Amino acid sequence: MRRRNIALTASAGVAAGALGLTSMTLPAGAQSPQLPQVSADELVASVMESDPPALAGRITVHNELGLPALPGAGEAGELLSGGDKSMRVWYDGQQRQRISMSNGSGETTVVDDGNTVWKWDSAERTVVKYSHGESSQGESGTKRPDAGTPAAPSEIAQPSEIAQRLVGKLRDTSTVQVDGTASVAGRDAYELVLTPKPNERTKLREVRIAVGAESRIPLRVEVNTNGSSDPALRAGFSELSTGEQDAELFQFTPPEDAKVRTPEKPEERSSAPSRQGSSDSGDDNRPRTEGTGWDTVVLSRLPENAMRSSAGDDEQSAPGAAEAGGTGVRAMAERMGSPVSGSWGHGWVINTSVGSAVLTSDGRVAAGAVPQQVLIEALRDS
Amino acid sequence: MTGTASRVELPSGVRQRASAPFGRVVGSELSWILHRPRNLLALLGLAVIPVLIGTVLAITGGPSGGTGLFSAVAGNGLVLPVLALMLTQNLLLPLITAMVAADGLAGEAANGTLRGLLLAPVGRVRLVVVKALGVLLMVVLAVGVVALSGVLTGLLIVGSDGLVTLSGTTLPLGEALGRVALATGWCAVQMAAVGAVALAISATTEHSLLVLIATVGGLIVFGVLEAIPALEWLKPIFITADWYSISDVLSDPIRWNDLVDGLWRAGCYMLVGFSAAVARMATKDT
Amino acid sequence: MTGPADTAEAGATSAPVSGRDEPEPALRTSSLRKTYGGTVAVADVDLWVPRGAVVGMLGPNGSGKTTTIRMLLGLTEPSSGSVELLGHRMPDQSGRALPSVGALVEGPGFHPFMSGRRNLLRCAAMEPALYGSDIATAVRQALERVGLVEAAERKYRSYSLGMKQRLGLAAALLVPRDLVVLDEPTNGLDPAGTREIRRIIAELHANGTTVVVSSHLLSEVEATCTHAAVLQAGSLIAQGELATLLESGGPNLLLRVSDNDSGLEALRQSGIPARVELGELRVELSETDAPEVVAALVHAGIGVHEARRDRAGLEEIFARLTEGES
Repeated sequence: MRRRNIALTASAGVAAGALGLTSMTLPAGAQSPQLPQVSADELVASVMESDPPALAGRITVHNELGLPALPGAGEAGELLSGGDKSMRVWYDGQQRQRISMSNGSGETTVVDDGNTVWKWDSAERTVVKYSHGESSQGESGTKRPDAGTPAAPSEIAQPSEIAQRLVGKLRDTSTVQVDGTASVAGRDAYELVLTPKPNERTKLREVRIAVGAESRIPLRVEVNTNGSSDPALRAGFSELSTGEQDAELFQFTPPEDAKVRTPEKPEERSSAPSRQGSSDSGDDNRPRTEGTGWDTVVLSRLPENAMRSSAGDDEQSAPGAAEAGGTGVRAMAERMGSPVSGSWGHGWVINTSVGSAVLTSDGRVAAGAVPQQVLIEALRDS
Repeated sequence: MTGTASRVELPSGVRQRASAPFGRVVGSELSWILHRPRNLLALLGLAVIPVLIGTVLAITGGPSGGTGLFSAVAGNGLVLPVLALMLTQNLLLPLITAMVAADGLAGEAANGTLRGLLLAPVGRVRLVVVKALGVLLMVVLAVGVVALSGVLTGLLIVGSDGLVTLSGTTLPLGEALGRVALATGWCAVQMAAVGAVALAISATTEHSLLVLIATVGGLIVFGVLEAIPALEWLKPIFITADWYSISDVLSDPIRWNDLVDGLWRAGCYMLVGFSAAVARMATKDT
Repeated sequence: MTGPADTAEAGATSAPVSGRDEPEPALRTSSLRKTYGGTVAVADVDLWVPRGAVVGMLGPNGSGKTTTIRMLLGLTEPSSGSVELLGHRMPDQSGRALPSVGALVEGPGFHPFMSGRRNLLRCAAMEPALYGSDIATAVRQALERVGLVEAAERKYRSYSLGMKQRLGLAAALLVPRDLVVLDEPTNGLDPAGTREIRRIIAELHANGTTVVVSSHLLSEVEATCTHAAVLQAGSLIAQGELATLLESGGPNLLLRVSDNDSGLEALRQSGIPARVELGELRVELSETDAPEVVAALVHAGIGVHEARRDRAGLEEIFARLTEGES
């Protein structure tokens, strides 16, 4: 019957369309490529030597850290708040770069034209302008102030830096080996795996770095934790094309009616209470580390005013603090952490899949990629 | 006996045309759609929306530091058409699309006119093609009206002679209009996908209202499901998944990624919807 | 009801004319069947309509007339069996058959928001047999034919039931047709409208067009048709030329006798079945003939005042056929 045949053919069309849709839910099936053997040492060395070429790409951050939503943490908070986030990056192979991150229907773009760093926020319609000297002098200059971007764009844009630092730091305490291959953004890559030595008391199981077989630049970093087969954090290229980039990408002219701010250094510092304390904070406020390797614990002390009420002087946490009744960080910890106490005093602990943090009632902070017990020991010893 | 004289004598046994010329049938369908007062009112309503948004933003000066595109419109008129498309795309445009699709098959069936078309005869597959083209025309008109009204309002009321992109760069007028055209086309493809599915629903029922409810209800359900984190993995099959990405045309360079995904997805929906409509019509008792 | 008429009871299973070696019929079905779930709507209908005939399809509501017509036109696909329309298999060859077929099925279907003329223009645009330049003329002529010229510019929603029906007819007659199928065309029409329809059917017949008219009213079929097909509960129980139908089958003899009871007794003894009806004896003449009946009565010494053939219109056949054997 003709009509039956038409119906049959059309049903095949329905099936094809449904198949197409279904295929969109499946992750791109990347097979492990066959690559010549390489030793871990060789691989690490070649990573150290390689310079990232001019590139354009998209970096996707997949995150199951289990961090509580941090009010007022800005883009960093958004980046770390779970789920998939992506940003576009361009790099000219030397020092100019451009990073663009969308948030809802707005966008934050950072352009480093070699001399000046421009940070454009479409929602605020403001441009913040740093001269290059300042921003590179204190790396935190671009990170901490204003937007509160601890994961500085420059670090993510050049995963090689992360990798090099990690490798250098962790070789003493970790097993470093090449374990299989992967395909990242369509490129063949070696998987460099850092595993903590058995005596390291850490929540982390391994850190996996996919290194491009050709370019020898890190393409992806995965952090795996004990008790989970899915990475807690995966940041890497989902698209990557190398080659010379359009020079215009690395230039920025502020729109006519945009506000342009050139932040003064002291101003910036004062709004970053936790680090590099100015005169009013004592030595205690400077973070120090306890232990080495994977179970390093960072100890610090919050300034007094942050414990009482940070609403007045910390612009960033103001909304959250106001909500919590004006007691700032402490209220936040009380709200999200669970109370603990011991010979060291009492406080609140926040546990995530990759680490823990403890805030004591007298303002001490301990954090690390370790179980809670290690933090408490560190607090007791301090 | 007033009109029995046969002008067109068709000697029996001589092969005659089995169907009217395609162009004539499509033309008749389009004229039918454009003669429907309801459809014209809908277009008029759509034309007013960007004017309203633009006027309000021009008077109030726009929200300061708000999120989304609203804050980007102030003094930047060519964002307005994209904003208007984004706002109407969630409910109004799908509603109008579904309305035309509902009229196309369900409405015709309810009126008894579907029989007339099939008896003319208009082949069943051809009928679905004609109806799909009709829906497509309305989609293009509806989306086009929003965009055009948005551009005019943006230029005249909000005022601008270029476009400040979300990335902070400034585009000249010509390129800016190109971006708006891109958003318009992209939105039209999304609505065409909605229309194809609505047409498939329309082929199964005689109740136009059911088509509207099913289509718009489906979009709302997608919206709800999207908000459930546990269903994140399912998100890529939701037609609405990338609808907010329409603002990606305002990035510089254009953020193609989600836009392209959206096109691919819409293509799948079109294939599913159109095929289902054909399958249903081919065997339907009318 | 006038005219000599013998009661006809056609065999419910036989297709009286299909065996004949005649030129290709306008319409032929064989074992046409349609079931909806477990319900049989049309059961094994073998319809045969010669070219040029005006066939009245008779049956009470729910007898399967409309379903049959819808299958004839390819609107509904048969569960089994086949349809040949103007020599083309339906529904697969709809494209060849339907351009020469005009139809008004299940009432007129038009868009309320458009004028009568615009509605017809839309129908005309879909007609394969109409060339673009002829459309306007065809529409005008169709409107003239059904007497809607003055109302042509009014919106369809303002039409009376009769006007709607006439517009439906106009759409069916946009193009000169080989076959016209009208499903209950006089529904909702006043007597003048009904006459108008009859006139149009007669006109079509005169032009050699084959017409299939369905109706649940006998009078209409008797007034307009040359042939009839009777449907009951989905089965075709009689079909053929109207005249043949009226004459065929077993006629009855009605007798006014001096004493009904003894007359009945006398006939029974002679082996002739009879019954009393309205004070008269009724004898079926299927197995006997009139002289034999009269002779039997006279032989038994019963006075026969009057003997006459039963004069029944199609109405009686229809009534008896559709109300079950009596």
